[in-house]
Amino acid sequence: MKLTFVIMLVGILQVSANVNGQAKVSLNLNHVEISKALNTIEKQGTYRFLYNSRLSEIGKRVSISVTDDNIDNVLQRMFDGTALTYKLLDNNLIVIRSSVLTFQDIKITGRVTGENNEPLSGVSITVKGTSTGTSTDNGGNFTLTAPENGRLVITYIGYDPQEVAINNQPVINVKLVQSKRTMDEVVVIGYGQASKRDLTGSIVKIDGKEIADKPNTNPVASLQSKVAGLYVVNNGTPGQAPDIRIRGTGSIASIAPLYVVDGVFTYDISYVNPNDIESMEVLKDPSSLAIFGNQGANGVIIITTKRAKAGQSTISFSTSTGVKQLVNKIKLANASQFNTLFAEENANNGITNTGYLSVPDLQNNTDWINAVTRKGIQSANNISIANSSENNKFNLSLGYTLDQGIILKEQLERVTATINDEAKINRWLKVGVNFTAMRENLPYDATGELNSAREIMPQVSAKTKRFLVPDLYGSDTIAQNLYSTTDPAIQNSGVQNPLLDIYSRYNTNIDLLYRYVGSVYFEVNFLKHFTFRSAVYGDFSNESHRQYSPLYYGYDPVQDAPVVLNAATKVVQGLTDTKNTQTDNILTYKNSFGNHNLTVIGGATTYAHSISYNQEWVNLPTSSSPPIPDDSRFWSPGAWPYSQVSNDPNQTFSYYSQPNWTAGFFGRALYNYDQKYYLNASIRRDGSSDFLPANRWGNYWTIGAAWELTRENFMAGQKFFDFLKVKGSAGTLGDQAVPSGVYYPAYPGVVSNGQTVWPLPNQQGYGGAGFITNNSYGKAYYSNPNLHWETVHQYEFGVEAEAFQRRLHFEATYFNRKTFGAMGLYPISGLNQLENLVDIQNTGQEFSATWNQPITKDWNITVSGNITFVQNKVLGFDDPSFTYIDATSQNNGEQDSRTIKGQPIGEFFGYVVKGVYQSYAQILASPVETSLGTVRPGDLMYADIAGGAKGGGDSVIDSKDRTYIGNPSPKFTYGASVNVNYKAFSLSVDIGGVWGNKIFRAWGSLEAPYVRSNYAAFQLDAWHGPGTSNWTPLLSTADRVNYVGSTYSIENGSYARIRNLQIAYTVPQKVFSKTSAVKALRVYINAQNLITWKNNSGYTPEFGGFQQYSATQSGNTLGGAAVTFPPSPLQFGIDQGGGAIPRIISGGINVTF
Amino acid sequence: MLALAGVAMLLNSCGKYLDRKPLSTTLTDLGSGSGTFDAKALGLYSALRNSGGFSTLPWLDFNSIRDEDAQKGSSISDGAEINAEFETFQYTKNDWATNTYWGDHFNMIQLANEIIHDADSVKPSDAGSLRNVGEACFFRAYAYFELVKAYGETFLPLENFYYTNPNQQVVPNAQSGQIWALIDSDLNVASAYLPLTWATPTGNTNLGRLTSGAANTLWAQTFLWRGQWARVIGLCNQVINSGQYKLDPSFVDIWKDGMNGAGKCGPESIWELVNYVGPNQSPWIGTQWGTSQNVRQGGASVDWNLGWGWNVPTQVLVNAWDSTDPRRNETILFSGRYDGGTATGGYGNTLPVYNPGTVLDQPYWNKKVYSDPQMRQFTGQIGSSGGADWIDHRILRYADVLLMLAEASNESGDGATAEAMLNMVRARARGGADSTVVLPHEAYTTQAQMRTYIKNERRWEFAMEGYQFYDLVRWGDAPAVLGSLGYQPKNALYPIPQPIIDQFLGKLTQNPAYP
Repeated sequence: MKLTFVIMLVGILQVSANVNGQAKVSLNLNHVEISKALNTIEKQGTYRFLYNSRLSEIGKRVSISVTDDNIDNVLQRMFDGTALTYKLLDNNLIVIRSSVLTFQDIKITGRVTGENNEPLSGVSITVKGTSTGTSTDNGGNFTLTAPENGRLVITYIGYDPQEVAINNQPVINVKLVQSKRTMDEVVVIGYGQASKRDLTGSIVKIDGKEIADKPNTNPVASLQSKVAGLYVVNNGTPGQAPDIRIRGTGSIASIAPLYVVDGVFTYDISYVNPNDIESMEVLKDPSSLAIFGNQGANGVIIITTKRAKAGQSTISFSTSTGVKQLVNKIKLANASQFNTLFAEENANNGITNTGYLSVPDLQNNTDWINAVTRKGIQSANNISIANSSENNKFNLSLGYTLDQGIILKEQLERVTATINDEAKINRWLKVGVNFTAMRENLPYDATGELNSAREIMPQVSAKTKRFLVPDLYGSDTIAQNLYSTTDPAIQNSGVQNPLLDIYSRYNTNIDLLYRYVGSVYFEVNFLKHFTFRSAVYGDFSNESHRQYSPLYYGYDPVQDAPVVLNAATKVVQGLTDTKNTQTDNILTYKNSFGNHNLTVIGGATTYAHSISYNQEWVNLPTSSSPPIPDDSRFWSPGAWPYSQVSNDPNQTFSYYSQPNWTAGFFGRALYNYDQKYYLNASIRRDGSSDFLPANRWGNYWTIGAAWELTRENFMAGQKFFDFLKVKGSAGTLGDQAVPSGVYYPAYPGVVSNGQTVWPLPNQQGYGGAGFITNNSYGKAYYSNPNLHWETVHQYEFGVEAEAFQRRLHFEATYFNRKTFGAMGLYPISGLNQLENLVDIQNTGQEFSATWNQPITKDWNITVSGNITFVQNKVLGFDDPSFTYIDATSQNNGEQDSRTIKGQPIGEFFGYVVKGVYQSYAQILASPVETSLGTVRPGDLMYADIAGGAKGGGDSVIDSKDRTYIGNPSPKFTYGASVNVNYKAFSLSVDIGGVWGNKIFRAWGSLEAPYVRSNYAAFQLDAWHGPGTSNWTPLLSTADRVNYVGSTYSIENGSYARIRNLQIAYTVPQKVFSKTSAVKALRVYINAQNLITWKNNSGYTPEFGGFQQYSATQSGNTLGGAAVTFPPSPLQFGIDQGGGAIPRIISGGINVTF
Repeated sequence: MLALAGVAMLLNSCGKYLDRKPLSTTLTDLGSGSGTFDAKALGLYSALRNSGGFSTLPWLDFNSIRDEDAQKGSSISDGAEINAEFETFQYTKNDWATNTYWGDHFNMIQLANEIIHDADSVKPSDAGSLRNVGEACFFRAYAYFELVKAYGETFLPLENFYYTNPNQQVVPNAQSGQIWALIDSDLNVASAYLPLTWATPTGNTNLGRLTSGAANTLWAQTFLWRGQWARVIGLCNQVINSGQYKLDPSFVDIWKDGMNGAGKCGPESIWELVNYVGPNQSPWIGTQWGTSQNVRQGGASVDWNLGWGWNVPTQVLVNAWDSTDPRRNETILFSGRYDGGTATGGYGNTLPVYNPGTVLDQPYWNKKVYSDPQMRQFTGQIGSSGGADWIDHRILRYADVLLMLAEASNESGDGATAEAMLNMVRARARGGADSTVVLPHEAYTTQAQMRTYIKNERRWEFAMEGYQFYDLVRWGDAPAVLGSLGYQPKNALYPIPQPIIDQFLGKLTQNPAYP
């Protein structure tokens, strides 16, 4: 600083100088320091000297005696034998320098921390240009001796390297920033971890921080639009998992990816507290997936939870609270519009029905969607304690989540507790334990309430009315506030007042889920290069679900009289017990031979899964038995002395217990030559008890290669690329996903086929109560001894690059995935067989790019984006006698998703609407449509496109004229985000969307005719005379011609959404003194699903796979409860008038102590 | 080393480790030997009860609502499509009712096939197993006969084998005569293997279960449909001569299905779908057969929420029916009137008035399924939970045997037998009334005259029971009687549902009358 000032001063003085080195100097000095001698010369008035007083030789003593000598001679004599030189400047200023810089070494101490001030241990610190170095201890501290003017280079795996100038400072504290240079990230892969640079596949790592402060109880929901190739369709029900498809729809039974949470294989990660997540890795390519064998085909998401970091001793607390609200309400008819449209519909069918118009209690104009929804609260609270000493790392965290849905009373509560500890016992042995316990209080099932709100007439009151009624639980008479029922004359069937349903169920439904996931492991290092790791995992859960049916009233608005809506109490209890155990034994060998670097693993794994389910119905033996009290103490079998577990298998107990086991052996080699040429290969052999011995075992393999061009000499000269790698891999993956409910598909399962009853002769009446009942059984499904794995052949190639001084990071990948023998249920007449049915191809292109732009010291902008194109096509059927699979769900009318060779999976199938018939003359002049029903003006006119002798139309509109009318899979999905950091503030905006898909709207078009629903607002445009509409058909459920799947129901599914917006403020470090309890503090506000630009009429453009129920397990024919299948891959993108996804505005605070 | 040994051990034991069987019974465990067929055969009865295509709305749509005497009912705006599809003959190829009817029948055929297949491989000889084979053959024939009536034999697939793979079900249309041959051979087996009665010396614990009488009656119905009079006469006589059945002395007692149960598997019942609903609806071994047809609440008080009100009498039936016939007031329940009390099958209540949209939606209701208030109380199917799931469907009854014999005899020139049989049915309907005024004896004069008598008698005796439409088709009277409702000759057959055509992957072709 001083020096600079002087130099500047010199510059100014220079301007005024005119005399130059002419003055003579006289001196007579004996044994004085050079500096003193110079001082003497200065006193003579002509010359001035400029030098650094710390120059060591300036203190050398000299003797000199001159008279009127030239200044040059004087200085040359004086400096003789030293390294000092001088330079005479214009204005008689003389600068003295040393020709040799000999700075002093000083002792430096310091501390290296991470972004949250956590100490980092094992950080390497070297003096630039030397081999001197050290590393930090567990507290992040280091001590080092280095030249006072040197530079320190600080490097740590996973963090950006930093260089610091010493500038003679004795204390240097360094804060490291985690690496954003994707290629140097450490990523977790199957049974190990590696630097991304060493891999040949496509792995995307998501930092836990991106998940922790987002208001999603399921962490995967936060990945929407963030990862190329990962398609997430969220839903708005608390606790419900999103529908996730990685690289297209590649299967037909189950397409959910496998999750590996700290080594535990699972398909349900609801127990993972988002705040505990350190990182998530999305594995998509064959090179990373083959090691997962029979579970790798649909992609894998690896979740690593937080561990105490070396030297860390922190307590962190975070809390966030948000408000959820319904957005994008669907538009329905109001009361007067209903009156108009209902009259219009009745007139169309020659009916007069206005009975309800004069009923006093049916004069309301209720907005039923408002009536059943609310602003829900979502709150996540976590505390975690981490402590690490040299030989022990300990982490404990507790989480409490409250997640209220937007439907009244819908509420999820979750408590999680996690503890993990890892101890280094000695030089070669490390042991550890992980344990997570979760208790979840699940909400009552409110998924149908939005649809009920859509169906009920606005004339019905949403308020209560007071009536004096007999106490259903006792004998006295009490006053109660009752909700209205529907008008029984109009909405008798399938429609109900959702409030009656909500208030009778929400607090009589007790659904408790406990889950315990844990593991113990040990790791032995031996013979220098070997590590053996052995782990045992357990994943146990226990769900008890009890539903009590209370006695309650509603009131009939027409009669204005109370009505008992439930006259008998009942309890249904379901107990589900799941036990999964897993063992892994892995041997790792890691070594380098010159430039050859090799990591090899080999291992064996077993997995045992078992689930048992038990359902009991508790009834009262006679109608005169006292009802089961409305108190949860009595809501279990036997708790009420009068109750009995009924012996009717149609509605009483069902039980199943179905284990399956898998075992596998695997190996993998990661090799590179000089970090220039890379080769990855893995192999796995897996067996499963689901298949008979002949088809039990499957072999999976992969091989991948990469070439890092920027390390080649020929690239050395170029400045554009900082990093360039081309890569490719190919392999065979497996999928054993047997739909739940079809355990042991090779064995013909038995189900109860219900009971048969015979009256006793002469006692046929109930007075005699003489009935004999018999049980019967039947097949649950057709067994298939030939069933085998489905295999996926996948290859990909791509490029990774960094350019513009590493500001740009870019990745592009092309993939091709072919699934052979995808397993699916083939139904005919109510029974299914699990078959290797379809071959499917998904090809796609993934692009992602990030640009990081530091603007000033305080400003930094990062922009990133990704886009994924997927082309999905059914290649054909394994059994040539099959040509397509239809999925029809609407129980009245048609709603087809067809899967057929050459088309995308689950494509909508139906007629093409040309318009609406305006007159009989037009009907007569048009192709004959009577094949679909009687046609009159106002009905939809479909296109005649097939059946002709030479192709084209045949003047008859019939089933041949159906065609593919919409693909539910998007052509591309995209996401983008912008992060702006200014000093302590940061703003991030995430945008995402899809383009090119279609939605099948089943409401306002295909309602069952016996369900009298409210009209959709767009039905106000319904045809009601020539010229009134050429798109919306006339209102009449009798005109079945309009109730077939057609383009009338198809809507554009493209959308764009501001998925997330967050503004955060991190309190600057300097605010906290060394002694303050608080070490770090961050506050933020967050808006999720802020704005959606969409093109369809539903609440949301996101509709995941249909939750199908097993035909073999539902209904009365069979005893069991309905078994839920995962979201159907064959039937998705269908809008059934529900599925709203809320907007969530939340705020939070993170504190570290 | 230890680790390697561990891996090696694992490798060795892996075969065993993975050799698991389900922890539950499989069909293989139950075997297919003799004595093991019973539970499967009982499944046929519960399938009958649990399938809408046999026991509730779709069955009523196909069998009853299509005639001129019954209509959809319910409320005016409910099920408007059924009006179109089954009352005005605008047949559709894709709707819930039509798809369900086809699917449930086809499913029954498959359930029966499975038993018959097992029996073919095991060849059991014990009487119990043979009876079960007889039951399976009966059910297959019954399902096929209903499908033939609805869709026509050559538009159906011939399903008489057991399959191990779903693609084996994808078969082409049956050749002409193949399905009839299957029905005949099945009923031949059923007639031979089924017992005359299930009664044992210690009592009958299987009342309502299939007998050879049921097989012979159904077989007679199929020959009546085909106009093979001699076979009808032979089979009807076999049933009559078996001595197992008689006309219930009281017509209203046939339908009594309440606390006293007089009509449950009564003396006239040859085969019925038996239901049982206990207190608090537990156990519930019922169907919605009774619920689907009982009085619909509409705008009336909840006390009149007895059911869904489908399949109700038309004005045509009310007007056409001679009011002296006691069966008229025993079959039709009138809105706004006293139900007639026990004498005519009522319970002493007065119905709310007919005023669609405001009070009751229909002027007339089917009294043959009118629910007993005591039973509503007993089962808890009352008020807002209203229903009548305990009521049996009387599928085959003795009066049909007599009238079939009358018809076949008349067509074969045996006027005397025709006259005798006809008047047995009339006499019972008359009860104790004066035979000069009420349902007088109808003597044989000419074959044509007797034919008219028989047609009328069937109409009144079986009104609302689902006989009339197929009788009209069989007699060739449908165009004349139903023409004004929109019936055309092609409407004798319904088109095969489009999803079925789709499911059969193009091997099954549609009736060309419905392109």
